[in-house]
Amino acid sequence: MGWLRRCYLTVASEFSWRVPGRPQRLLGAFALAERGSMLDMFAAVEATKRRDMRKKYFHHGLDEGRHALIFAERVRAFGLLGRAEAAMEDSGQLLEAGIVGGQTLFERLGEPEFMAFVYVAEADAVEQFNVYLDRGLPDDATQAQLRAILKDEVFHVTYSRTEVDKYRKDGLPMDATMRKIRLRRVWERWLRFSRDFGSFTSGIWLSLLYFLVLGPFRLFGRLEAGGWHPVEGRAGDALALARSEG
Amino acid sequence: MPTYILGISALYHDSAAVLLCDGVIVAGVQEERFSRLKHDATLPVRSAKWCMDRVGITAADLSWVVFYEKPLRKFERILSTSVATFPRSWAAFPRHMRAWLGDKLWLRGNLCQAFGVPASKVLFCEHHLSHAASAFFASPHENAAILCVDGVGEWATTSLWRGRGTQIEPVSEVRFPHSIGLFYSAITAHLGFSVNEGEFKVMGMAAYGQPRFEAEMNKLLRLESGGGFSLDMDYFSWHWHPTQAASPKLSELLGAGRFPGTAFTPRLAAEGASESEIEVSQRFADLAASAQAQTEAAMLHLVRHAHTTVGTDALCYAGGVALNSVANNRIAAEGPFDHVWIQPAAGDAGGALGAALWAWHAVLGNPRGPAMTRTDIGRETPNATTREILDDLGARYADVGEEAPERAADDLAAGRVIGWMNGRCEWGPRALGYRSILADPRKPETRDAVNVRVKYREPFRPFAPSVVAESAATYFDIPAAAAAPSRFMLTAGGVKDGARESLGAVTHVDGTARVQVVDAASSPAYHRLISRFGEHTGVPVVLNTSFNLKGEPVVSSPVDAMASFVRSGLDLLYIDNFRVERPK
Repeated sequence: MGWLRRCYLTVASEFSWRVPGRPQRLLGAFALAERGSMLDMFAAVEATKRRDMRKKYFHHGLDEGRHALIFAERVRAFGLLGRAEAAMEDSGQLLEAGIVGGQTLFERLGEPEFMAFVYVAEADAVEQFNVYLDRGLPDDATQAQLRAILKDEVFHVTYSRTEVDKYRKDGLPMDATMRKIRLRRVWERWLRFSRDFGSFTSGIWLSLLYFLVLGPFRLFGRLEAGGWHPVEGRAGDALALARSEG
Repeated sequence: MPTYILGISALYHDSAAVLLCDGVIVAGVQEERFSRLKHDATLPVRSAKWCMDRVGITAADLSWVVFYEKPLRKFERILSTSVATFPRSWAAFPRHMRAWLGDKLWLRGNLCQAFGVPASKVLFCEHHLSHAASAFFASPHENAAILCVDGVGEWATTSLWRGRGTQIEPVSEVRFPHSIGLFYSAITAHLGFSVNEGEFKVMGMAAYGQPRFEAEMNKLLRLESGGGFSLDMDYFSWHWHPTQAASPKLSELLGAGRFPGTAFTPRLAAEGASESEIEVSQRFADLAASAQAQTEAAMLHLVRHAHTTVGTDALCYAGGVALNSVANNRIAAEGPFDHVWIQPAAGDAGGALGAALWAWHAVLGNPRGPAMTRTDIGRETPNATTREILDDLGARYADVGEEAPERAADDLAAGRVIGWMNGRCEWGPRALGYRSILADPRKPETRDAVNVRVKYREPFRPFAPSVVAESAATYFDIPAAAAAPSRFMLTAGGVKDGARESLGAVTHVDGTARVQVVDAASSPAYHRLISRFGEHTGVPVVLNTSFNLKGEPVVSSPVDAMASFVRSGLDLLYIDNFRVERPK
């Protein structure tokens, strides 16, 4: 399947780097992803029971934070302040972008699977960056930054692979776990697409509802006037009123 | 078995959980302190779990879970507004409906599932009533006027209440879309800052300008003879646009908005800027000053009306606008009330506390308890755990034991900028000496160093001073009515003429400072630190800013503190008993 992914990356990279406006979006997406990874790694430092891993997770988190800033800086250099910039201003944007939310990756997966996830994600990133660099697609400044980031990514791949190998020696089915993770990453992409598609189609139906059903009520609708409006307290049993959602 | 009430605010911004045990606040924290996502609005599952773990209970022990809003009433407002603004609201409607039909309409079930309680234990308090309760029941006042001013709740954007003992009665309200909070947010966006995040920056920017756009602001926000206000909604679009707060007419009136991230070089901070750059920045500063002045005028107008209507000598105040410390100072100094009490978490997070207190007092009829005098109700870490983490991270540290405040003061006096994490995390958006970055307040260069080298934020933003209560009057003009809010850094008053020289890093360009008065009873360690610094330097004041990096929530755990420490230009870090040096 490696050749299939390589083909996909080759085609996708041409699209991402040659179509005007796409490089900024790609770099912005990288900035968001790196920032999300930073949070995941710091969360792992707190959650892990393996004290020997804390330092590695911590440094990995620091690397990801630095990469996020580098990517955001590249977006800025293109003169476009997008979501990546907003995420640098406000980490809450990561939630809106669907990068993180709810349980942390570590909480969701547990340590061995988390480690396998890190390995798969980092190895994919290295492959992706190498395609960009081999094909000479990014501008010179971005290429220099990608090379610097690649050095860190190689360290991340190396230590996570070592840990995955240790788990494998301990008898854990790491190959199956990694296959599961790769499938899940594809499944999550599909879910994201489905969500966007669902959002689009529901938007059409809701717009129809808006124009056909709500429209006629416009005759009766009006905005509230300014100024103070007197308010009466609601009578009734306090507990019953408190139970009401309206 | 004691009665445990869990208050919840969530789904808009700043979600939080607060746990009461027989009416006493035992724990409270914002979800962002766990998730590390600023203004995290998701249901505060981790916060709630932490609150319960801290007192050793499970969801089965909860008597009530109280949500800080009435969701159906909010849904009604959204539908009514969509109808009233047809067809302009065509883009906002699908967006709202997706959020509501997909999630928010099923809130009771979601709460039951998230917090593990049956539906019979779930209560709902109105949004503004939650704010009102957070201010009134946490205050020492048995009889008070209560004013809540924010963006919007269900329908109310501003509300007036009468508080007596354990009851809060509604008096009147100003309704959506007329909103002072949203007016300020629209100006914030016009000035190139993020809404719900950049409002403090507008306040900081205002000091560099003159309110020369008074006529334009009067057009936007009119003060009415009946004590209320209204907005000219032609200039705004929050009632029909999915993402924008201002209509194109606002730019026609005020001129083009500021592009995010543009350098800000008004006359008072124009070093190296060209005349045209100064002109542009000065206009933005003047706009910020004008919006701030209009907001202050509106607040004074509302407060005077509250006094006339309710007729008490005490005002309890909450809602996001109550975090405007400059306006608060004018309310205390020029307003008619003898006492002003402001909820330290005046924004939506405070709604979690208010909802829980309302259930305990107003619904269940329990008597009032002691007033809230401390804000350290959040997360803490035992020293043993911190030591283990520092060891594992290979940190260079020393255990200085109970001497940490004195050692920290010595370091500050030696010119170092330190991260200070001590005890439990504070409640609300202000760092009050539990999760703070501290520095010597005397030299103006320190401000620039902390802004640029440590926090990576805009150089025009001011820093707050913390002063020991015994010396507050020596350095600052604090109105008598602001005695309580100044404990929570909620007012910005004048720095005394003779003190400005010695407080160069914390005196803003207009000669004011958002001071925190620290007393030994409620913040003993922090009080010791500042006192010791005073012994060294003759100035018992420190520069205090929240311990976070740009775009991130305030640190909560030792790992957060270490991550911020390593990524910033801080010289030293104190975590409870440990003095941590920078990695070599």
